[in-house]
Amino acid sequence: MRLEVSQPVLDLVNLEKLKQIDQATRGRYRSLVLDICYPAEEAAAGMEAALSKLCVSAGKAVKDGYNVLILSDRGVNAKCIPIPALLACAGVHHHLVRAGLRTSTGLVVDTGSVREVHHFALLAGYGAEAICPWLAFDTVNAMADGKKDGAKKFIKAIGKGLYKVMSKMGISTYQSYCGAQIFEAIGLNSPFIAKYFTGTASNIEGIGIEQVAEEAVRVHSLAYSNDPVLASALDAGGEYAFRVRGEEHMWTPDSIAKLQHSTKQNSYATYKEYATIINDQSQRHMTFRGLFDIKSAGAPIPLEEVESAKDIVKRFATGAMSLGSISTEAHTTLAVAMNRIGGKSNTGEGGEDARRYEVIRAGESLQSRIGKERVAKDIALKEGDSLRSKIKQVASGRFGVTAEYLASADQIQIKMAQGAKPGEGGQLPGHKVSEYIAQLRFSVPGVGLISPPPHHDIYSIEDLAQLIHDLKNANPKASISVKLVSEVGVGTVAAGVSKAKSDHVTIAGHDGGTGASPWSSIKHAGTPWELGLAETQQTLVLNHLRGRIAVQVDGQMKTGRDVIVGALLGADEFGFATAPLVVAGCIMMRKCHLNTCPVGVATQDPELRKKFKGAPEHVVNFFFFVAEEAREIMAQMGVRKLDDLIGRSDLLDTRKGIAHWKAKGLDFSRIFHMPDVPAEIARRHREKQEHGLEKALDHKLIAQAQAALEKKQPVVISSPVSNANRTVGTLLSHEVARRYGHTGLPDETIHVNFKGTAGQSFGAFLAKGITLELEGDANDYVGKGLSGGRVIVRPSPAFRGNPLENIIIGNTVLYGAICGDAFFRGVAGERFAVRNSGAAAIVEGVGDHGCEYMTGGTVVVLGGTGRNFAAGMSGGVAYVLDEDGKFTQRVNPAMVTVEPVQSSHEQEAKLARDIWHRGETDEAQLKSMIEQHGRLTHSARATQILGDWATWRGKFVKVFPIEYKRALTELAAKNNKLVA
Amino acid sequence: MGKVTGFMEFERLAEPYEAPITRKKHYREFVMHLSDDEASTQGARCMDCGIPFCMSGCPVNNIIPDWNDLVFRKDWKNALDTLHSTNNFPEFTGRVCPAPCEEACTLRINNDPVGIKSIEHAIIDKGWEQGWVAPLPPTHKTGKKIAVVGSGPAGMAAAQQLARVGHDVVLFEKNDRIGGLLRYGIPDFKMEKDLIDRRVEQMRAEGVEFRVNQFIGGDVPAKELLDKFDAVILSGGAEQPRDLPVPGRDLTGVHFAMDFLPLQNKRVAGDKNIPDLFATDKHVVVIGGGDTGSDCVGTSNRHGAKSIAQFELLPTPPDSEVNPVWPYWPVRLRTSSSHEEGCERDWSVATKRFEGEDGKVNKLIACRVEWKDGKMQEVGGSEFEMKADLVLLAMGFVSPVQKILEAFGVEKDQRNNAKATTDGAGCYKTSVNKVFAAGDMRRGQSLVVWAIREGRQCARAVDEFLMGCSDLPR
Repeated sequence: MRLEVSQPVLDLVNLEKLKQIDQATRGRYRSLVLDICYPAEEAAAGMEAALSKLCVSAGKAVKDGYNVLILSDRGVNAKCIPIPALLACAGVHHHLVRAGLRTSTGLVVDTGSVREVHHFALLAGYGAEAICPWLAFDTVNAMADGKKDGAKKFIKAIGKGLYKVMSKMGISTYQSYCGAQIFEAIGLNSPFIAKYFTGTASNIEGIGIEQVAEEAVRVHSLAYSNDPVLASALDAGGEYAFRVRGEEHMWTPDSIAKLQHSTKQNSYATYKEYATIINDQSQRHMTFRGLFDIKSAGAPIPLEEVESAKDIVKRFATGAMSLGSISTEAHTTLAVAMNRIGGKSNTGEGGEDARRYEVIRAGESLQSRIGKERVAKDIALKEGDSLRSKIKQVASGRFGVTAEYLASADQIQIKMAQGAKPGEGGQLPGHKVSEYIAQLRFSVPGVGLISPPPHHDIYSIEDLAQLIHDLKNANPKASISVKLVSEVGVGTVAAGVSKAKSDHVTIAGHDGGTGASPWSSIKHAGTPWELGLAETQQTLVLNHLRGRIAVQVDGQMKTGRDVIVGALLGADEFGFATAPLVVAGCIMMRKCHLNTCPVGVATQDPELRKKFKGAPEHVVNFFFFVAEEAREIMAQMGVRKLDDLIGRSDLLDTRKGIAHWKAKGLDFSRIFHMPDVPAEIARRHREKQEHGLEKALDHKLIAQAQAALEKKQPVVISSPVSNANRTVGTLLSHEVARRYGHTGLPDETIHVNFKGTAGQSFGAFLAKGITLELEGDANDYVGKGLSGGRVIVRPSPAFRGNPLENIIIGNTVLYGAICGDAFFRGVAGERFAVRNSGAAAIVEGVGDHGCEYMTGGTVVVLGGTGRNFAAGMSGGVAYVLDEDGKFTQRVNPAMVTVEPVQSSHEQEAKLARDIWHRGETDEAQLKSMIEQHGRLTHSARATQILGDWATWRGKFVKVFPIEYKRALTELAAKNNKLVA
Repeated sequence: MGKVTGFMEFERLAEPYEAPITRKKHYREFVMHLSDDEASTQGARCMDCGIPFCMSGCPVNNIIPDWNDLVFRKDWKNALDTLHSTNNFPEFTGRVCPAPCEEACTLRINNDPVGIKSIEHAIIDKGWEQGWVAPLPPTHKTGKKIAVVGSGPAGMAAAQQLARVGHDVVLFEKNDRIGGLLRYGIPDFKMEKDLIDRRVEQMRAEGVEFRVNQFIGGDVPAKELLDKFDAVILSGGAEQPRDLPVPGRDLTGVHFAMDFLPLQNKRVAGDKNIPDLFATDKHVVVIGGGDTGSDCVGTSNRHGAKSIAQFELLPTPPDSEVNPVWPYWPVRLRTSSSHEEGCERDWSVATKRFEGEDGKVNKLIACRVEWKDGKMQEVGGSEFEMKADLVLLAMGFVSPVQKILEAFGVEKDQRNNAKATTDGAGCYKTSVNKVFAAGDMRRGQSLVVWAIREGRQCARAVDEFLMGCSDLPR
């Protein structure tokens, strides 16, 4: 017997129905409303007893046969204080669980206190099967001005938000989410957690029921007070935008002004004013580190004896902010600055212009190097400057991740998650995709670009190890980094990352910037870096894994003191993003997603970009100030080298005399804990990872391809291959990319014939001019990041099966392919050509999720497809042979149309040439691809189709993304206008 | 937020002024507020910043983005409520405030700031027009008695706040009318005085008792207040003008600005038997380049002066700041509406002496000065003469009138202001029990908007002192 609702937010009518449900179900359901308010005169002290009473009544009600319990705070008034709904819900939920009664009843929360997605998610996570936000409805209805659909829209919005939250956590159904408690508490004490939020992680102790009650009482008395400010308006709030008298923020008018003035005028004194605003949290309790004291390691030493600022700044990096999210001017300013100081800047996701790779010569400026039409505000450069970002990010979208891009890296960062929005991908709205950005990302201007939440080639730690290996092959000189987000359990993941041979790991804190992240994520996802870093350091040290991996911390690092605290908790390196951006002019408008940044930082609008006023010098000043401040602290501590501080969490202590009434129970001892290991066990980065590249088959290929590599002379190589040979062709591609860039070699300069079963990542990041021809079959990730090369896989002549029914290549083939072509005589596994941005591929069948998130290129499927084909596809075209006529059932129609493939004749007559894919008719390109497929793979299917082309053509459908069509039309209109 | 791209589409719009040629002929206000549509469009320029620097730039922390948006949506009533939630007297600041908010406006970084002051002006004028500005009498009385000494903007703001939470407030004023410098310092053409009268009416309805012609510490002993009241707020302003002790200072025709300006305000108010001090047909020299000097220029022009010169000791400020100080107050050349009406301005000028005949001034001897590392030096051979029948000294105010502070015996700071802090426990409290200080009397000469801020904050401190806690905002 179950009662079903289509979604968990009940409107007022449905809640009433639920209250009367015994009538509608003739007593099979019996609901009972439990009032969660208690008399105000009992004040804070009365809440615990009220809660116990509530739990007892709930238990009794279930035993009495009530199978729907409605916890309601509608009785709130001046004389009645509501128990916070989440506490009531979780308390009752756990009480019933303990009593073995929970599954005998439904739990519904009827409360005035919820309004944001996170509030709903919390109630759901702690057991609420349905929620009625009565005050939110009252408010929405009052605001709706007579319109009646306000509540409906509110429910829809919350529903979408919950979807997003659940998908971030990888949970598909509300039933699974409900009661799953996937939350981490910060600042709640153990007895409180044990009793009401049983099983939730909480690492720093903190307040209990008394303080929660006290706060509830304060809010209640404010609500019924005579406060003139609250008489006709709500509290200023200030959560989402700074307000005087509202929520405290680290970035305030003064901190921003002082930082900008100090770096512009190169005034360390002004910087110190800024640092004091940030560091001194004796009044405003903003961060964990603000509640720490730093102890001395010995007697103070003279400042001159401390490691130089010049050396310290080499440990600094700027955060991953893509060109796209920020302007070319801002992006290059950071790059130049970091290169000047010997630190590292980060491309972010979205590729990098190859014009940035070569060192700047005398007389060059940003405009003269990148191009006048691409730079709205010129920036003066010095001889020897470099615009190259040393860190190349590889994110789930794989935009612009070519062999050349990887070859230009000092470090390659795999973004597993982002501090500000763990579990989420990014989205660059169409209006920010300028021609330049589209070019760098190998996409079409104006087409929105979605980075999927997961990496489609990482579903396990082994997959991550494979990607690390692939990238190491793509650039053996670069260190490979994995970016993780601070959360409970990150230590275990970091240990896995270290074992997976990553050279470097970044732990990102929750308050990392990106103004474009969804608010619910910025506010409620992730944890402070202090927690994640401490857990990472302790786990790595305990497992003897720390020495071989460098640890970087980031997430609103702002001052030298932040650096010292980070080092003490175990960081070798430090990432800064918001602060240097503020130095470059950012004023925390929080309008990044609107493309209206008025200071030219986070916009692509050329008019606004002209207003950019940042300069590399200012950023350089900032980092030297930070290092100088760190040095001063080190001198005070009596420490000469930063290395000596790393992992010395014993030098941290809880600040004495924290006055705030809610700060009393905090206990940071778990963060300050230093694992008890022998002295020889590394506590900082000391060794190198063993990548095993020397075992690569590619060394033989490279040796045999010397004539091609050096003199561009065609070579043909033959080699057996087995599944022990992983990532074949990638080191070779690195050799090509390093010499010839993305242009690569002329077609077919290096042709390698393989026989056997190829291991994973066959032909990953394969450069132009290389053809890998395989007779046999291949594992997962064939042609991952294909960068212009050609991959041919056909079955061994010994194979007797029907290629149309047998898988020849594994999962996630051509993921993130940039360009090049691929021919597979046989069926591919799941997720074929996901995030393809330009490769042309032909295959005789695909599994589920084919062409997902594809933004460009051409895919031809000569056989069956799995379900969810073309989900999130915004560019390129797929031609699918729809033999059974049921393809429309397998395609995800949200972003694409399915059209017949017209004859060239028809197309010329009916369809404007402007919106032809690749400027050719569908028939012409489809046929020519099939012909080539036949030639290269000896495909019987190709022969069959071409044998009766007129009939078979009619069975093909064209999967055409709506966005792509729109962008082609707009582009054509623009070009026509230019011609006119 | 108004319009996302509003700042890219619309320009800053200055409030319309009556032309100098006609406005010089009367003493009425000549600045017209924006029309509803104009104000709404100006509101659309607000970018609703993630960090509204304007709000911190404004001493009363007006919630500017919120009311900009409300005006954009033409929700004037809510805009007025929001504005009043931080500012008791927007009609004063909407007219005479130099608008530090606009200097802090994010748009000013590379554009013209939002016309915040013009929007404030439009909101409050609309509020009065529509009759929305009503008294807010307290729902209950506390029985506590508070004396507020000095009825300038600080005293008025403190009195209003305290009356609204139920205290019995008596506002004492040594002059014959309420308003302090608002009444007798600022000329009518900048701010008409019925604006003050309206507020006085509102405050009276809220329970404030006004007692004029009461010089506390002079006619009325301080002890009387200390005996009769539970708390006293000293908000008497900083009226001690800076003098220019050079030869000839005592010649007739050399006056402090504040001996000159109030007379005209009284004439406009219709008072009889006002001393005969006019600039009519005179060569007028105003010494001091600030706002008061500017008011002297405007008034002299209206009198029909033959010529007007204004000297400033400091060098000419740049047209725009050299080192951008945004969001802080920039030092740059500002030209007031009075300057536009006609006057010669000169900088780096020091007056050496006055000369005259029959005890009456007729010329002024001055020289040029150079500034080096903050120190002034006379430029050799730069001495010059200037015709001067009327010299007005507008060189700022050095301190409060000491008599009041001495009467109460409160401790003073280095600049002879009443000593009190503004933050934390015991703020605004002087060294004498139950005596508080706010406004210029505590901080030294400043802006109307600072006075309002201090009055409000001090009111909260007094309320807390009397009741143990306070609902009043800071």
